[in-house]
Amino acid sequence: MNEKLNLSFWNMRHAWLIGKTSYLETVRMKLFYALLALSLFSLGCSFLLQEFNFGSDELKFIMDFGFGGMTFFGSILAIVTASQLFYGEIEDRTVFTILAKPIRRSEFVVGKFIGAWFCIVSFVLCLTLCLMLSLFVRESILMSQYPEVFSEGRLLNYLDVLGFGFMQCVRLGMLGSIVILFSSYATSSLFSIIIGVVTWILGQLQHLAVNAWGQYDSLFLNTILFIVSIALPNFHLYDFGDKIALGESASISVYLQLVGYGALYCALYLSLAVLSFREREL
Amino acid sequence: MDIAIEVKNLRKDFVLARQSQRLRAVDDLSFQVNTGSVFGLLGPNGSGKSTTIKAILGMLNPDKGECLIEGISSKKRESRARIGYLPEGPYYYKFMEGLEFVSLVGQLGGLTKLESVSRGEELMDLVGLQDACDRRISGYSKGMLQRLGLAQALVNDPSILILDEPTAGVDPVGAVDIANIIGGLKNRGKTILLCSHLLSQVETVCDEVAVLNKGNLVASGKIDELLVAGNEYMEIPECSLEATQRIEAILSEEGQSLVKRRDRKSLEQLFIELTQEEE
Repeated sequence: MNEKLNLSFWNMRHAWLIGKTSYLETVRMKLFYALLALSLFSLGCSFLLQEFNFGSDELKFIMDFGFGGMTFFGSILAIVTASQLFYGEIEDRTVFTILAKPIRRSEFVVGKFIGAWFCIVSFVLCLTLCLMLSLFVRESILMSQYPEVFSEGRLLNYLDVLGFGFMQCVRLGMLGSIVILFSSYATSSLFSIIIGVVTWILGQLQHLAVNAWGQYDSLFLNTILFIVSIALPNFHLYDFGDKIALGESASISVYLQLVGYGALYCALYLSLAVLSFREREL
Repeated sequence: MDIAIEVKNLRKDFVLARQSQRLRAVDDLSFQVNTGSVFGLLGPNGSGKSTTIKAILGMLNPDKGECLIEGISSKKRESRARIGYLPEGPYYYKFMEGLEFVSLVGQLGGLTKLESVSRGEELMDLVGLQDACDRRISGYSKGMLQRLGLAQALVNDPSILILDEPTAGVDPVGAVDIANIIGGLKNRGKTILLCSHLLSQVETVCDEVAVLNKGNLVASGKIDELLVAGNEYMEIPECSLEATQRIEAILSEEGQSLVKRRDRKSLEQLFIELTQEEE
């Protein structure tokens, strides 16, 4: 039976099987449903709080609320899921049964990333579809109430909302891969979660480090800024929800560049995670 | 005879967390497990058994020496294609169902989904879990987890089995069942490396043993040879009173006396007899 096993090359089937199992684990996790319920609740609140939209456009208010929930709860899910899937497996000792099979450590790392990313995609997709539905319903109501405002048809471009959702999957994928990297040598899941949160914050501020680099006399400070600029991705690039809410569409080339940028960083972090995990003694 | 597992001059040190000292878990350990034999690895807690098993499975890098699986270094993942492993205190994916998990392990070992499910059903039946195939592992008792562990270790039909405490947490009847399964596997030509604290079980199923203490090999060899004690006794079957008296008289002339002993059941034997009668 073992003759069928492909032992010569990197086996995508192994990574896929581990990813599928990890995804199954995440969707059976209570946290997934708790965050989903909380996000949908916050989206529902934006509907109820339309009178408190502080003067901004009502549809923009709902959109801001939806995008904010997607990013905030999505980042919590990405950090906890990636840490739980990777370090949790070492902590629970389930890794022994899996790695006692002829599996490369790299297949295991990639499999865990696939599982975490699919969980993120499921979460973001649910929220994006709910947000689109909310916006569509509200816009339809407003169209019947104020036909003169909508004389040229619908104001919102729903493809942009979908595009924003997909870009969040890329952004949260990068965050997940960073957490996997830290989990690959962490000695507690708390450590990888804390590092994940810190990285998330630093990544949001990375563009400030890029701007500040070279502007100080201190070599130490410049070195730190340089490391932050290079080692961390600029998560801020993916914060274009405001532009969408104002009716500005992002071009296909921008989407492609963001996907490429995200894929590059994911590949970098996962490669480092493989190097670290290959040397790890279990 | 072919060698299935060979451990050569294995040494492994661990750095202690709070001290700049090293703990030598295994020191210059060497032994061989012949193909088709059942080999017992014995020793108290902390004697280096788990470290040795992890080195054999390629999960630890030895500081010195090497482990070979059918001639292949344990550092190469090809070596693990021949091994089925039952970990100590089995921890499996609690969110999965029993058969689902065995099928996953089968697929990771190279089976197709269809093959792994069919083989999984067969093995769940063999280990007595046929009624728990669709039950979540989180609901399994410790004994059921051990049986599940045995099923997943066997799913890829490996030539070598490494069983770490296969009967821990299993009741005596279940332990006998598992011992019978191990015996059956031996008859099918499987090589088995067994770690167990149940010495009576080791004595029953193992051909050879290695005893570790504080990381050192203190004894190894065939069980029959290791268990030879100083005195040799003769067994006299039940015979007439007259014959017994004649034997006693002869021994008395030699200045010896007849030592009489009555066969005694072990508590385990009694438990098995009683519970099997109940069933």
